[in-house]
Amino acid sequence: MVEREEAVLKKSGVIFVLFFSLIPVFWMLIISLSQSPDFLVNGEMVLTLKNYFDIIARHNLHFLDFLKNSIIVAGISSLFSTLIAALAGYAVSRIRFRGRMVFMILVLTLSMFPQICIIGYLYKFMSRLGWINSYPGLILPYIAWSLPLGLWIMLSYFSQIPRELDEAAMVDGANRFQILIRVILPVALPGFLSTILLLFIFSFNEFLFALMLTTDFHSQTVPVGIALFQGLHGELPWGYIMSASTISCLPVIIIALLFQRQIIQGLTRGAVK
Amino acid sequence: MNNKGRDALLFILPLICFVILFILIPVIGTLLNSLRQDVSFMPKRFIGFTNFVRLSADQKFWQSVLFTLVFPAISVFLEMVFGMVIAITLNQTLKLRGLLRGIALIPWAIPGVISARIWQMIYRYDYGLANYLLKFVGIGPVNWLGSSSGAFLCLVMADVWRTTPFVAIILLAGLQVIPTELYEQAKVDGAGPIKRFLYITLPLLSPIIIVALIFRTIDALRVFDIIYVLTGGGPGGATTSLSIYGYRFYLLGDFGYGSAISVMLFIFALIFALIFIKAGKFGRLSV
Amino acid sequence: MNWSSNIKKIFFIFLILFFSSCFQEKKHLTFMVGGAPNEVDYWEKLIKEFYRKTHIKVELIRQPTDTDQRRQGLIIPLRAHKSAPDVFLMDVVWVAQFAGSGWLLPLDAFIKKDKINLGNFFSSIINQVDRTEQGLVALPVYNDCGLLYYRKDLLDKYGLSVPGTWSELVTNGLRVQTELRKENPKFYAFVWQGAQYEGLVCTFLEFATSFGGGLLDSVGNITIDRNENINALKFMYDLIHTYKISPPNTYTEMKEEEVRQFFESGNALFERNWPYAWGMHNRLSSPVKDKVGVSQLPKYPGKRRASALGGWHIAISKYSDCPDKAWELVKFIISYNTEKALALDLGWNPGRSDLYDDEELKKGIAHITVLKRAFENSVARPTLPYYTGISEILQRHLNGVIAGREKPEQALHDAQAEVELVVKNYSE
Repeated sequence: MVEREEAVLKKSGVIFVLFFSLIPVFWMLIISLSQSPDFLVNGEMVLTLKNYFDIIARHNLHFLDFLKNSIIVAGISSLFSTLIAALAGYAVSRIRFRGRMVFMILVLTLSMFPQICIIGYLYKFMSRLGWINSYPGLILPYIAWSLPLGLWIMLSYFSQIPRELDEAAMVDGANRFQILIRVILPVALPGFLSTILLLFIFSFNEFLFALMLTTDFHSQTVPVGIALFQGLHGELPWGYIMSASTISCLPVIIIALLFQRQIIQGLTRGAVK
Repeated sequence: MNNKGRDALLFILPLICFVILFILIPVIGTLLNSLRQDVSFMPKRFIGFTNFVRLSADQKFWQSVLFTLVFPAISVFLEMVFGMVIAITLNQTLKLRGLLRGIALIPWAIPGVISARIWQMIYRYDYGLANYLLKFVGIGPVNWLGSSSGAFLCLVMADVWRTTPFVAIILLAGLQVIPTELYEQAKVDGAGPIKRFLYITLPLLSPIIIVALIFRTIDALRVFDIIYVLTGGGPGGATTSLSIYGYRFYLLGDFGYGSAISVMLFIFALIFALIFIKAGKFGRLSV
Repeated sequence: MNWSSNIKKIFFIFLILFFSSCFQEKKHLTFMVGGAPNEVDYWEKLIKEFYRKTHIKVELIRQPTDTDQRRQGLIIPLRAHKSAPDVFLMDVVWVAQFAGSGWLLPLDAFIKKDKINLGNFFSSIINQVDRTEQGLVALPVYNDCGLLYYRKDLLDKYGLSVPGTWSELVTNGLRVQTELRKENPKFYAFVWQGAQYEGLVCTFLEFATSFGGGLLDSVGNITIDRNENINALKFMYDLIHTYKISPPNTYTEMKEEEVRQFFESGNALFERNWPYAWGMHNRLSSPVKDKVGVSQLPKYPGKRRASALGGWHIAISKYSDCPDKAWELVKFIISYNTEKALALDLGWNPGRSDLYDDEELKKGIAHITVLKRAFENSVARPTLPYYTGISEILQRHLNGVIAGREKPEQALHDAQAEVELVVKNYSE
């Protein structure tokens, strides 16, 4: 009796997860593949790849520019951010300096600031540097903005690596930097990679900074491109928007499916102890 | 300074530089800016708290405050409910559990702007999926984004969809450390799944639930992208969050007033962050 | 060892990538322009022609259709003193703010040098909009005003005339709507712009003025809560909720493109829209091709007709790094031939007044006399640097009323009070 009840609950749980997560995504896919988005009322659904060809072939839609910008900006900033976070995470996990806990909490608090409190002045700051609408103008804030998350994840990986490794290297006369590069990082490589992936998603999805720090397709990212695609409530070219969205979602969906274990670990390491 | 301190500083320095330059200084800049008259077509000068006095008489501002506080309350509650269902499912022994976990992550992984676009498509009055489905139960068509409550509901739904995976993952981590013996014992005692949930899972999970609650609340306070795409703050300003409202003034060229609005949001976020620090036992969290 | 040298390599490569991207140089003259997709495509054609003539290469930066987003796309680079865009189009209502902020390059010297005759433009518009404290900062590319489009075939079929008054529009509309609903449940008699955006203020200005009201009194003070305005707003509400001749998504989704497509798909009898819709309605692919007529908007008996003055003006950024080339582009765009081509191909009312006597245009645009008359009845929105703040308040309350959240009288009283506060805040 209990067994059957349980099996039913389990199944309905799985179905719920599938429906909840996938229906909107499928809807995006269907619209992107249909000739006109109003097939529900017109009654005829014509499958076509035209939307995909169009957004790739029509240069003045700039979709490939947006995608390129996004990948460059998110790629560079996630790499740098992870490196910087690794340095700091190593120090916090290995060097017992004073104010460690205060430092960690301060960094965590920073990550909770609303972006709107930063962007107003950041915009002026970048204006003065002449970096509005440039890659560095986005990459630098993204690095800073993703550091707190990166730091916490790296820290949790480092604290699982036995100290004996360090001590052995220390005896061999290596300094701390050498230890980090030669001993710790190779061991923490999976953690390092999953941090990069997480921060990539984090930067890839960011919107408000990109909205105010970029002005045209030379550096606008995918979220801005898709949000400004012909207007706010406009009679939008839905086929284009949805095919552009589908392509843009592809990298993050692949990351999510292939690296779900690492992402889940990254997000929850240290959350439960 | 001792050796350790110097070493540590060296390692932390890059992080500190970045954080100071691109987070701390801008935040301080915004604070100072809120005390200035900073309009593109007017002379810039210090005006003390005039912007804040103006805020206090600004109905639209109070409307945004209300929205900014009510929105997280409702959406975070729903996220907890859905997140719990998903977390428990993902914690079962299943075939292809890894794949299912990956699938559950998808809504969280895709850009917020894109999920807003998808929901915008679903809510469309004339040929949206929502009204199409409602027709079968004999309701509608509903003008989803037309009424303030409808638009609010749409935003909540879109936000819940996008962030439930995050909540689910945090809860899942909590579920994984509950010893299975407890469940086995309860099973032997004849407790069904619902009883086991109420008497074992829920109490043992409560610290983690609070953690997820705090994270999500602070995050939902600053909601911007889905509103920007889905409703633009309308109809009639009913779904204008403080982030949206502040942004609007930046675009009108009034950085002083926009900054004052941002500072208010900052204060709300700070209050929640302080609660978080007070609850010091959660200080070992990632994210 | 191997590992650390790899890291160094990767780091180095990214460092190079990073710094090389810091120094992207602007390659061309940039021209930022938005609008409906066919309009932007047309601009691309024009800059190619410009290149053939002058060998100046122009990079077109496409903007969305949405007016607010176009403004945001300009304010961000201008306030940051970016050299791109060099040339851009501005909605009439932005000119005051952009000029007041010192972002626009005065054109007086260029005009003198190239002996441009300003007499060929509407002097009232130039004087009201483009001539500012900073000098002449912009020139009209095209002027806009609200028009009433109608389905000739349907009116003929039911023996109805083009409505001259609002009540006629309601009666005729209801009649046709009742008939057509039998076959087409999606049919509505009258579509207009009611979403919460600038277009709503234009629509309201037209209703209000044609009811005998308006936004400004005779000495230029803002008077929003007049009785005539309240009646006009009540009427807008009634169109959707009482007569039900306008669709319920009027106040959520209806901007000009939505309205145009609604009408074009054959689901409406009357449409309030800007002149550009004419060309679109009569495209080959349009289901309503050759079935559309155009006239001035109706009015309240005994009051004046009114069309909101819109339009786009061209200007050069003060931060442009090639103002001379930029002026060449501006000169090309405001030339007789270019504006004529824009009029013939896109259905835009020329910014130049001399074009209204052009024989070819008279032949090509049968309704040019309607346009001219609509112009004579045009009403401008207040030209103030902080107009947007006023407009925001109006948009919110107007949309609130037509969505049924607010009552007309109270809404306009509130708007008046809030607007007065804005005026106080932004005037020294």
